[in-house]
Amino acid sequence: MSLRGLIMRIVVFAFLGVFILLPFVQTVLLSFTLTLPRDGYEVGSLTWLNFLEVFKRPDLRASIFNSLTYVSLNIFLCLSAGLPAAYAIARYRFSGDRHVLFALLAFRLTPPVVLSLPVFFLFAHFGLINNPVGIALVHCAFNLPIAIWILESFISAVPREYDETCFIDGQSTPGFFFKRLIPAIAPGIGVTVFFCFIFSWVEVVLARILTVTAGKPITMAINALYRFQTDIGLVMAMTVVSLVPGVAMIWFVRNHIARGFVIRT
Amino acid sequence: MNTPHSNRAWWLLVPSLALMGFVAVIPLLAVFNYSFHDVFTVNDAYWIGLEWYAEIIGDPSFWASFGRSALFSTIALSIQVPLGVWLALLLLKMNRFAVPVLMLVALPLVVPWNMIAGMWLSLINPEIGLAGKALAGLGINFDYKFTAVHTWIVIVLADTWHWIGLVVILSYAGLSAIPEPFRQAAAIDGASRVAVFRHIELPRISGALSIVILLRFVDSFMIYTEAFAINAGGPHDATTFLSLELAADIGSYTYGRAAARAMLNVLIVLTVAWTFVRIRSSERTR
Repeated sequence: MSLRGLIMRIVVFAFLGVFILLPFVQTVLLSFTLTLPRDGYEVGSLTWLNFLEVFKRPDLRASIFNSLTYVSLNIFLCLSAGLPAAYAIARYRFSGDRHVLFALLAFRLTPPVVLSLPVFFLFAHFGLINNPVGIALVHCAFNLPIAIWILESFISAVPREYDETCFIDGQSTPGFFFKRLIPAIAPGIGVTVFFCFIFSWVEVVLARILTVTAGKPITMAINALYRFQTDIGLVMAMTVVSLVPGVAMIWFVRNHIARGFVIRT
Repeated sequence: MNTPHSNRAWWLLVPSLALMGFVAVIPLLAVFNYSFHDVFTVNDAYWIGLEWYAEIIGDPSFWASFGRSALFSTIALSIQVPLGVWLALLLLKMNRFAVPVLMLVALPLVVPWNMIAGMWLSLINPEIGLAGKALAGLGINFDYKFTAVHTWIVIVLADTWHWIGLVVILSYAGLSAIPEPFRQAAAIDGASRVAVFRHIELPRISGALSIVILLRFVDSFMIYTEAFAINAGGPHDATTFLSLELAADIGSYTYGRAAARAMLNVLIVLTVAWTFVRIRSSERTR
């Protein structure tokens, strides 16, 4: 790399860093600032109180738990349904396979707001309102196609002979999936978890319509904090807390996210 | 590639198809059904045929929203895709230093969507925001509430901030999968950087880029959360996009019209996606 190229990269990425980090800096600053008057404290002073309140308030604590529950369940569903499907698409031709792939793309591209109304009626019929299970299920509509695409590309990278050797060695089908295939595509599982997480943890439209009175995830708990006189410091403290699992997730997959995914059509 | 043909593979798809059937196919069919009815309650709906569709298509405000959504998508894609690909190209020779940058651009992807607006609005707030104070200090009267252009700037900035990471990550994934000898061969032939990109890199990342373009197209075309939280479609409907109109219909319990609107949106999105996929596969076979 030439010196000019190096300097240009430093400048470009410094700009990028400022652009990306500025809103985060603002958020973190506000989360440590007292923004509503309280006894014995001055507005604008540096404080831990916002974070203390996040963990003291039962509704906020419950929302963290709800979000973690539905996201884990969603990831579990996407992996357990997506893995066999991805295997089928990676290893076999079958009648109608192209149609399946286009249908997956079509459902991934269907805007969630379109589905919100019937999903509410349908899930109300099955008692899935105010329940993390409902959100976990409905988020599969856009996460399962992505899970299948990512897993498919990782399975395709494993030579077919690997499967054949495993079966000759006398592995049963479930044994092959759990003991051989999953370890072989472990980074792919990580990337799948990451992408399912980033589309599910942050989703708002469906999460709102499915939680009317209870079971509210973090996003809705933050919305509920907005009122006539909003304690913006508390809102930002809650936002900072909501970022923690995501940042941990980025850290775990940092060496593998660059594998990305492509659509199969 | 000699992939064996076996219709028994369908069995492996059963869990996925069942799940998608329940959460996507049934709801979509229900929307399709509602769109031909005047829905008072779920059990009290009257068949009215294509009346909702006629009403919406005859309504100039639908076309105005359509135009705004299309414009927003065009702006978002024409900024984010070239910028993201360019950043990915810069990252390419940085080896292990690429990882921290990828982590950096991934950060906005894990922010709850309703807080993206919250974070940006507090950033540009003239009293508490870092950027807001700076703008006020420079004497710029930045008023996103009542000046349409400023609202657009905030939404485009917030959207770019939010999604640039996805473009960078997926383009970088495509680019770094290209074997180095391809580039070396081109360099020996004396190809310029632009020519290498156009003839060697671009064709090989088209798969990764397609999904980026499609995802960015739908999410920007149907932008809801950020746009609503920033200015609720204002000022004077200047940022009322298709999804905001749809949400207004759902909010006012005109379910039949909401369903017809939803079907029209799906139709537009899928037509674009289908055309895109067809063009791509015809290019590949040529």
